[in-house]
Amino acid sequence: MSNRPSALLSATFWEPGYEHLVESVHQRDPEAARHLASLDVAIHDEQGKELASLPQDRASEIVDLDRIVRDVAGTEHRVMVLFDARYDERIFPYRPHHYAYLHRRGSTAPALYYAVNAVLGGVPDRIGAARLNNFETYVFRASPFAERYSVLLGNVARFSPAEPEVTLYYERDRETRTVTLGPKTHVELDLPAEREGQRLRRLEVKSVFRLATYVVGRRAASGDLVLFDHLFTYFK
Amino acid sequence: MPEGLDGALLCYCTNVTIAELREACRSGRWPLPGKEETGRLCTGCAGDLLMCLRWFGAETALRDR
Repeated sequence: MSNRPSALLSATFWEPGYEHLVESVHQRDPEAARHLASLDVAIHDEQGKELASLPQDRASEIVDLDRIVRDVAGTEHRVMVLFDARYDERIFPYRPHHYAYLHRRGSTAPALYYAVNAVLGGVPDRIGAARLNNFETYVFRASPFAERYSVLLGNVARFSPAEPEVTLYYERDRETRTVTLGPKTHVELDLPAEREGQRLRRLEVKSVFRLATYVVGRRAASGDLVLFDHLFTYFK
Repeated sequence: MPEGLDGALLCYCTNVTIAELREACRSGRWPLPGKEETGRLCTGCAGDLLMCLRWFGAETALRDR
């Protein structure tokens, strides 16, 4: 084992107008405070440009994402936010988790709670999830829930472009789209909830390497988020 | 590749830096002992890893165990 601290890079997406709080450490221990060794937040626009890199107080348990991003983001309608954490495996024998709270200010939509998508690291070989984390799926409810669905895809690589295949499974038909994502770029793809009378049942994202992925649902009229959930590894 | 990236982590699962990968490739020692799973756990680094292996003149396949 390396004498370096362990590392985990998680990713989420920020939009203006939301309270967006991220727990830097989810696990709590009544006997001892569990702190990360360090936590850096990087903010990237849709074209992959780094807008800021902001070291966080490692003792802080809550990152107010909207507070730190909104001025940096300027007029951007969405940015990708990377949480680069270092931690001691003796303190976090599994891995630290980042969980988030998301709610549009003034909206009657319920608050959303989600696990921030771990993209790099955090999957040591003892978990046995090798090699198949780049094939992910999301199963939609049988009855309509959100009025507009989409998927957010982000490429956290430094150098490598990604060409994920996004496949939408309807009751009988399917549709596959290929997207090209340069390093640190991100995109939102609309997912029609219905096609020729068939409901959208399932979504798959296949890529050579793991991406930041979230399925989101929005109210049609307001665009308020009512679903924000990462995809799941299809096989384990 | 900018030299400032030498210390950057390439594989977050096995803690391999860009400089370590470059040096191991230069000396024909890749994969280093204990680093055989680089690029095969979370897989998020696999794209960058393959590009770096190519740049550093090493075999680019992520071999099966």
